[in-house]
Amino acid sequence: MNDAILEVRDLTVRFGTKRGVAHVVNGISYTINRGETLAIVGESGSGKSVGVLALMGLLPQPPALVTGSVRYHGRELLDLPPREWRSIRGKGMAMIFQDPMASLNPVRTIGYQLIEPMEHHLRLKGKAAQNRATDLLDLVGIPSPKERLKNYPHQMSGGMRQRVMIAMGLACDPDVLVADEATTALDVTTQAQIVELVGRLQEKIGMAVIWITHDLGVVAGIADRVHVMYGGRFMEQASVDNLFATPRHPYTRALLGSIPKPGKERPAKLMTIAGMPPDPVLMPAGCPFAPRCAHADGARCDDTIPQMESLGGTHGAACHYPLEAKS
Amino acid sequence: MRAFLIKRIFQMLLALIGVSIVVFALMHLVPGDPVRVALGTRFDQDLYDSLRADLGLDRPLAQQYVSWLGGALTGDLGVSFRNGQPVTQLILERLPATITLAMAALFIALLVALPAGIISAVRSGTGLDYAVSAASQIGISLPDFWAGVMYILLFSLTLGWFPSSGYTQIGDGIGEWIRHIILPAMTVGLISGSIITRFVRSAVLEALNQHYVITARAKGLSEWQVVRRHVLPNAWIPIVTVVGLQLGFLLGGVVVVEVIFAWPGLGRLALTAVKDRDFTVLQGSVLYIAFMFLVINLLVDVIYARLDPRVRVS
Amino acid sequence: MNEKPTSRTRETLQILLANRLAVVGLCVLALLVVVGVIGEAVAPYGINDIDIANRLTGPSGAHWFGTDELGRDVFTRVLVAARVSLQVGFIAVGFALAVGVPVGLVAGYYRGTIDAVLMRIMDVLFSFPAILLAIAILAVLGPGIGNAMIAIGLVYTPIFARITRGSVLVVSEEVYIRAARSLGARDGRIILRHILPNVLAPIIVQTTLSLAFAILSEAALSFLGLGVQPPNPAWGRMLAEGRNFFQQAPWMGIFPGVAILVTVVAFNFVGDGLRDALDPKQKSVIESRGQSV
Repeated sequence: MNDAILEVRDLTVRFGTKRGVAHVVNGISYTINRGETLAIVGESGSGKSVGVLALMGLLPQPPALVTGSVRYHGRELLDLPPREWRSIRGKGMAMIFQDPMASLNPVRTIGYQLIEPMEHHLRLKGKAAQNRATDLLDLVGIPSPKERLKNYPHQMSGGMRQRVMIAMGLACDPDVLVADEATTALDVTTQAQIVELVGRLQEKIGMAVIWITHDLGVVAGIADRVHVMYGGRFMEQASVDNLFATPRHPYTRALLGSIPKPGKERPAKLMTIAGMPPDPVLMPAGCPFAPRCAHADGARCDDTIPQMESLGGTHGAACHYPLEAKS
Repeated sequence: MRAFLIKRIFQMLLALIGVSIVVFALMHLVPGDPVRVALGTRFDQDLYDSLRADLGLDRPLAQQYVSWLGGALTGDLGVSFRNGQPVTQLILERLPATITLAMAALFIALLVALPAGIISAVRSGTGLDYAVSAASQIGISLPDFWAGVMYILLFSLTLGWFPSSGYTQIGDGIGEWIRHIILPAMTVGLISGSIITRFVRSAVLEALNQHYVITARAKGLSEWQVVRRHVLPNAWIPIVTVVGLQLGFLLGGVVVVEVIFAWPGLGRLALTAVKDRDFTVLQGSVLYIAFMFLVINLLVDVIYARLDPRVRVS
Repeated sequence: MNEKPTSRTRETLQILLANRLAVVGLCVLALLVVVGVIGEAVAPYGINDIDIANRLTGPSGAHWFGTDELGRDVFTRVLVAARVSLQVGFIAVGFALAVGVPVGLVAGYYRGTIDAVLMRIMDVLFSFPAILLAIAILAVLGPGIGNAMIAIGLVYTPIFARITRGSVLVVSEEVYIRAARSLGARDGRIILRHILPNVLAPIIVQTTLSLAFAILSEAALSFLGLGVQPPNPAWGRMLAEGRNFFQQAPWMGIFPGVAILVTVVAFNFVGDGLRDALDPKQKSVIESRGQSV
């Protein structure tokens, strides 16, 4: 485990709301190694975004309450004084977001925003910073990068802006890049380009990527390992091949059933999951998916939270009645 | 950018013509014959007729309007009914007092509003935020004339720190100038400051809720760096608008404070003209103030466009 | 469609009543209205009871707010003056609403030339500092309370026209308005039945806030001798009269000023509370914050 860059243990995030305590992330654990891509998949409201925001120290506390452990190169982040955490954020761990328009400052130039983390962490200034910024834009595939530095975000297309965001994330050579729904706001062609770009950069730079998405199609193209999240918990974890080939959790199965597969014959009916994701203020006492699960037994599933159990190798599922492996 | 400017200047000219028509029409609706009132007990039919002819009051209204507007454009606003002085000269005499008071008041307003508004937004929901909100709420509701009288009671009559009224020019000594301007400037400045504080707070709060703030935090910037480098540059845009509006108001709308502090500014000129039925002076000063108001609004739009690259570069 | 407005009103009221400052403001306003209606009946003295022997006496058990230069009871006069302040405020803002809202509805609904003409006229009115415009109008109409109401009303008209027009422009784009239009409903009916109810929220908020400033304007005009005429008491006038006796009898000016301040603060509290409760933009911020959790 020498290669482990980030170890997350039992990460929990709660929010105090007017209606009561919202249990948004309920003890998730994972490890990510150098150069690896981990995808966390879930519907909106599953807690996947909040989980990574907590990891980056970007949740204001209060109202959030973050507990558990996040070790970065063996160093505990959650106990770190804000100042020291800031010296890691944007340098060792970088993050890119869903909406590149909203995530870029409209009144600052691309150059300003790109150079900012270099100035801040690397004390890189003037010509040197300019050159590095130009190289980065070139690296992410932006034509005539030097001229682009003077542009404002509104002068670029959505795909270009997301490339700028990625360049910003890479500014200080991070070893972990967190991408939170980084392709959701883009059209399909651009999505594919961005996924391809991140994959290529990752090989080149050797950084680890945590890819947060609701889109299993994106996961197939990029991830090594996948964690399926629901109700603030991991439901299933597996290598990407195993997950798609032999999903063992009813929720994963349902999720896979809800995307049409190209090439294959269209299923008679696209599967949809009945019901709503659980309300984080009123989390079920048992399995969070039980109220919507076709296989729930009405007793144990409602009373006892299933723990993540290994089903052989790195494949695990948190289910009292994991499905049989079939292809 | 250029198209935007041309459009705005055109709009301003249109508004200016409208303003001049309103001002002209208002003054010619004034009840009572202004010449008769001006002559008072010295009434003499020949003098009355010749004065009316001098002022062009015997001509049709449209003709009067055109010649008045033509004069106004060349800086000739006629002469005062009361003392025969050129109205333009009267206005220019009053201008320094009005402008210095407006500037001093705006200075005090910004001195209070910028820190208060920014801090209460950054620390929103805390006791400090509530204190600032409560203070600005009271400031907005404060009648300026009452506040002015209270300051005189406290700082002038009781403590004896500042004179209760009067105006000195900067050239006659900066110390005396400050002593005289501080109470009237404080009276309007704190009220303007309260209004600006609320706008600063909401503008900063709005910018703080944007996604690019999270991006900036994710770069590892400290909270104050985020505010300084990313939040404020966005918040300035709405703030400039309200500051410009306040400046326009300060340059023409502080009639009551000028009365209280015997401040020889434009507002008091207009008010005296109302009481004296000196309609050329009233016409001239109202037109001039409205003109300044419009010019400042135009300037605000220009600055606004300069600050916002989405308007500037397109 | 029938149920929606009532549940929305109830929701608004709930949010408003949860806002402590707005509740304080509402209580003060209720008290003011009561005072305005029955003030003269419950006042300890007559408004013009002259008592030269007790002139310029300070606050005491007999005269809570002291007496003025003619020995009149300041408390009585402050109490009675509440009525005229509220009257001027409500009538002036009523005037501004009656003119500004239809202008905004027509301009926003029909757009084009009529919109341009109407809004340019409003721009002209907006090009004067408020108090100066009111003074100029009073110079024409002559001083007095009725004319002050018209002057203040005219000053606040363009605000209502602008706010109404802005909301109408947004609402007109909604599918149900376009549907009603394409189904051939009459314009008047669409405006009154479909558009007006949906643009009321910002108008209500602006009404409350304008009431505060209308009352301030009336006080300023009365202070300058252009509003309420003697011997009737008005807060602004009392302040102007008190100024001459300020050193001997500060209470003559302090209490009317406090009365103005309290009234205006109360309206502002309610206005702010209403904005929080009604403004859909603010509301959506709160909602989206709840969801991202």
